[in-house]
Amino acid sequence: METYLFYILAVVTVIGTLLAITEKHPVHAIVYLVTSFFSLAVIFFLLAAPLIAMFEVIIYAGAVMVLFMFVIMMLDLGRPDEATLPTLRQWLLPTFLGVIILVSIGSVAVSHYGAPSAVHEVSVKEFALILFQKYAVAIEIISMQLLFAVVGALYLGRRRTP
Amino acid sequence: MTVNDLWIALPLMILAIGALLTLLIGALARDDKAANLIAVAATLGAACWLMQTPPATVAPTLGLSAAGLPRLFGTFFTLLAAGVLCLSSGYNRERDINGEEYPATVLFTTFGMLALASATNLLTLFLGLEAMSFGFYILVAIDLKRAASGETGLKYLLPGALSTAFLAFGIALLYCISGTLDIRESTQLTLLSGRPDPIAMAGWACLLAGLSFKLSLVPAHLWTPDVYQGAPAPVVAFLSGGSKGAAILLLLLLLPQAADTTLLRVPLWGLALLSMLVGNLAALLQNRVRRMLAYSSIAQMGYVVIALICGKEGGYQAAAYYAMAYGTISLAAFGAIAVLERNGCGETVDDYRGLGSRQPFAAGVLALALFALAGIPPTAGFTGKFLIFTAAIRSGEIVLAIIGILLAAVSIYYYLRVIAALYFKHADIHKNEFPADRPNSLEYTILTAASLLVLLLGLWPGALINLLSQIFLQL
Repeated sequence: METYLFYILAVVTVIGTLLAITEKHPVHAIVYLVTSFFSLAVIFFLLAAPLIAMFEVIIYAGAVMVLFMFVIMMLDLGRPDEATLPTLRQWLLPTFLGVIILVSIGSVAVSHYGAPSAVHEVSVKEFALILFQKYAVAIEIISMQLLFAVVGALYLGRRRTP
Repeated sequence: MTVNDLWIALPLMILAIGALLTLLIGALARDDKAANLIAVAATLGAACWLMQTPPATVAPTLGLSAAGLPRLFGTFFTLLAAGVLCLSSGYNRERDINGEEYPATVLFTTFGMLALASATNLLTLFLGLEAMSFGFYILVAIDLKRAASGETGLKYLLPGALSTAFLAFGIALLYCISGTLDIRESTQLTLLSGRPDPIAMAGWACLLAGLSFKLSLVPAHLWTPDVYQGAPAPVVAFLSGGSKGAAILLLLLLLPQAADTTLLRVPLWGLALLSMLVGNLAALLQNRVRRMLAYSSIAQMGYVVIALICGKEGGYQAAAYYAMAYGTISLAAFGAIAVLERNGCGETVDDYRGLGSRQPFAAGVLALALFALAGIPPTAGFTGKFLIFTAAIRSGEIVLAIIGILLAAVSIYYYLRVIAALYFKHADIHKNEFPADRPNSLEYTILTAASLLVLLLGLWPGALINLLSQIFLQL
């Protein structure tokens, strides 16, 4: 059953990402991207990586996408004054994708409840040990990258005088 | 973390701490002098540390390498960064680029290159390349006063982000097949002779697609002329010498580990042919010096790819030699252009008329760099091309070698056109009205050092070639 679930969710992820790229309305695009992140999270769970699944939901779907939403609100691209309730046709596809993801989460929860898992699931401790010992240099490089992303954004964001 | 770890990671730490210190000092000091000084000191310090013999070739717990090739290229990158920082001070004052962000970002970019050089697993390799690209995204757009710089930055950022996605996906596919991120193992397991795995082939294809952007090989070269034209001249020197050197180094870290690279021969063959053809022929049509140099750099990278195809027959040495020679030549060429542009020289070849007598030093350095790019002896460019074509003929790539030699002959035309404009044509009279500034002492030092290096590498290439063949024997 997990194989079928994987393929269904993979299709949902690809559809969600494609719609996120092609959708003209920025807020709709973000909602589609969140949809694809959720189905990706379930895929990670099926691959015995529950920690990554949680990160996917908390960091990507939660924090990063909310940040995107804030930027769009600040740039005033969404035209809040002209916003109307989406039509029924616009509701249809996201609801469909959402229901598939919810059903798959439910079925995964039911099938995993109480039963010991067949594959070895990576625990938080193992993950942390490998991340901060074997790949400590990588973490340091990433932290420098984030710092300079901020420095660059601050510098280039200064008002340009012609 | 042991002492050996610390010893090997120290150059990286010097650069990282230097970048942070530069940012902090910049917030306190009134002018940029202190920040620039710290940045130059950090690069020179890291270079000196890299020149010493390390206690071990691989850091035991950190997974950083201190083998010959990483140390040689690390020294090259840090010295190049020091040169670029020295050249920038005058240029930036003229262009009104101030703030501690510039030296700090140059240090961070060098940090990325050094991390790439000393990587032993694909993750550090990728992150190092990304850190370097991050730095360059900021640096090419650093001139806030010019309207074109924002456009330049965007033209570099968008294809750059795409190429990063390709690289990351390629590495993920290689990991999928080999199950390890270790460079040696994953290369050996994915580049097999005989029937290759389709997923491994897709992985290598994505990797090459991503790298061809960084090297500006032909299907992914469109950003090059715009960035070379729009970015500040010292940044272009750094981009042209450093980022391309780092991309070549990445391939040099991967390819020699494989027993058999025939799988990559066809794609590399096509990239080399297209880059040489398009680069050289498009450069013939250019009327602006910087765009001409951009197309010429595309062509030069095509020659390097020839060397990578015939790696086992001395091609890897030739590629490493050419990467360093090309970096030094770019530093000289764009350093000279920075000096000339600081004194109000325009973009087109016609604007360079008569500069040979008005600004003899900068024009002389530019002429030497152009001779070297054209591959005229006794410069580093000649020796590099000689090594590349020898390796190509020795390993049987006759067709590619003949096309390359013919196109190199064609390329002499567009290099000589600029030299002719510098020395054999008279400037319009009204341009002579204002006197030219003399280059400052830092510019004198760096340009003299770069020119001497170009000549020395051409006259006595033996030392570097011997060092490189020893390094590649140990791999």
